Amino acid sequence: MNVIEAKNLGKVYDNEGVKTNALREVFFDIKKGEFVAIMGQSGSGKSTLLQILGLLDDYTSGTYHFLGKNIKDYNQKEIAQIRNQKMGFVFQAFNLLARETVLNNVKLPLLYSDKPEQEWEELAKAAVVAVGLEHRMHHEAKQLSGGEKQRVAIARALVNNPEVIFADEPTGNLDSKSGQAVIEIIQKLNRELGHTVILITHETYTAEYAERIIRLHDGQVESDTKVNNRRIHSHDFVK
Amino acid sequence: MQIKYSIKTAVNGLRTHKSRSALTILGIVIGITSIIMVMALGAGAQNLILGEIQGTIGSKVIEIRPGKEPKGPTDMMGIMFLDSLKQKDVDALSKKANVPSLTGVMPLVVGSETITYDSETYSASYYGVNQLATRMYNMIPVAGRFMTEEEVKGFADVAIIGNKVREELFAGKDKVLGEKIRIKGKNFRIIGILPEKGSGMVSFDTIVIVPYTTAQQYLSGKKYFQHIVVEVDSEANVPRAIEDIKTTIRDSHNITNPEDDDFSLGSQADAMKMVSSVMDTLTLFLVAVAAISLIVGGVGIMNIMLVSVTERTKEIGLRKALGATDSDILIQFLLEAVILTALGGLIGIILGSGLSLITSVLINKFAALNWTFSFPWGGAFLGLGVSSLIGLVFGIYPARQAAKKSPMEALRYE
Repeated sequence: MNVIEAKNLGKVYDNEGVKTNALREVFFDIKKGEFVAIMGQSGSGKSTLLQILGLLDDYTSGTYHFLGKNIKDYNQKEIAQIRNQKMGFVFQAFNLLARETVLNNVKLPLLYSDKPEQEWEELAKAAVVAVGLEHRMHHEAKQLSGGEKQRVAIARALVNNPEVIFADEPTGNLDSKSGQAVIEIIQKLNRELGHTVILITHETYTAEYAERIIRLHDGQVESDTKVNNRRIHSHDFVK
Repeated sequence: MQIKYSIKTAVNGLRTHKSRSALTILGIVIGITSIIMVMALGAGAQNLILGEIQGTIGSKVIEIRPGKEPKGPTDMMGIMFLDSLKQKDVDALSKKANVPSLTGVMPLVVGSETITYDSETYSASYYGVNQLATRMYNMIPVAGRFMTEEEVKGFADVAIIGNKVREELFAGKDKVLGEKIRIKGKNFRIIGILPEKGSGMVSFDTIVIVPYTTAQQYLSGKKYFQHIVVEVDSEANVPRAIEDIKTTIRDSHNITNPEDDDFSLGSQADAMKMVSSVMDTLTLFLVAVAAISLIVGGVGIMNIMLVSVTERTKEIGLRKALGATDSDILIQFLLEAVILTALGGLIGIILGSGLSLITSVLINKFAALNWTFSFPWGGAFLGLGVSSLIGLVFGIYPARQAAKKSPMEALRYE
């Protein structure tokens, strides 16, 4: 089953009359449980693509089906619900609430969900444990290292048990060791828990943790290939 | 999102910027504090004045004044020199058939004279009254007695003096009763001393009371009275009595058209109504002035909320990415504004009440007035309501700005 079907997707930015084609004629499908890396140089449109796929931005042409349904058929509220329940986001800049505890940060998507309140604590704790941060549960986010912050962000993305996890340069702000730990957790979520993962990166090394790489160039799909020598995580972060 | 978590989120948002939140609500705090103080002190002053009126004029007493119903200060001045109330009016009112509910009629002769005792002199007002003044004006001597009906009828040369008059003329002397004072060349024997009333609005301390007959004959030399004061058997009969009195005096003065009335009536209820309305107007005016500071405070809130929205653009983007709807964000920021202003209102209420309480304690201590403090419940509810409303009104624009943000642009914001 296809989680994502993009047909002839296009995005034109109109900045006071100056039009920029950020995406053109983008076609691809992503199956349930796939781990896809989207690569490209800066300005290639990879972030725009992720934002469109993650329903954070609108496209200007083509069609986009998510879980078999055209996105244009949803209203604003339903789109917020999909983001909340079917999607998880991991950003390059972590985007945690600095003065909140790890647990509260992870709980944040639950606040906007329809899950019963008594389950929140348990779900959030399980997600924190899943990224190996149980010893940091009650620390404020600002007290954590970069790698730990990104792991909290992953736990937050995970807490609603989403269909797809979107990771936008998750290792971009991390040193290589923390970066590797983070990408390995993401891979494990895909391999062991079956989450579909869409990863944006410009590092080939990181992209090779995925099973498929879509390369963008000037807003168009340049290549869409399977990774032959896929890197497989070595550490046991996910419990 | 449940409202409980919206509130929690809003409170957390405010706690992150404690000092800024505190500074932001300062305008509201000052505004509400002033409103509460104006209302509490206004009510205190009103109670004081009304208490004085009640203590001075009995609720069953009606004053008949010469001249038309006064419409302004110049009319009031005129009353002093009007001569429409005469003995025949007193006689007419005294007839049971004319005003059945009357239990007493007392003419009033008022003037100013220099009073002498030995070599001491004191300039005081004299009040010519009859024996009913004890009931009508609460003039009960602390020493000696009041005048009798016989003394009034017999033009007796007796006087009851105020406490200040006693102090001025008889400083250091024990024997006052039975002593003779001189007013306008005539000797008056002191038969009573009035209690000290303090510096209220109406004070008996500086007056000398004499029979009205004597006052008319020897002091004023005039055939008319400044007032005629009557007493009604019960408070309930006051309105009826007012109508009867009007008819009686119109008859006595041969007036057919009420517009030609050369007298006017006033009761305790009238005086209290007038004082209350003046005080209410004054309070309202001051509250309106204080309310301006609330608007200024509201603009301050809006300003800070706009800054906060800009500053927290990324947080807004994040919340939206994680599933917050536009209305979730709107409610969060609106609640922040309302909680902020309501808190300001609450602090203002506490501060305003506290300051009013201290003020009333100080007034009682240093001005020797019977000033009462009562917590202005009306003002408190108004203050809380108005401050919350200000949060709502001035918070809506920043909150809408926040809700309108596109998640993608908000996340990208640096």
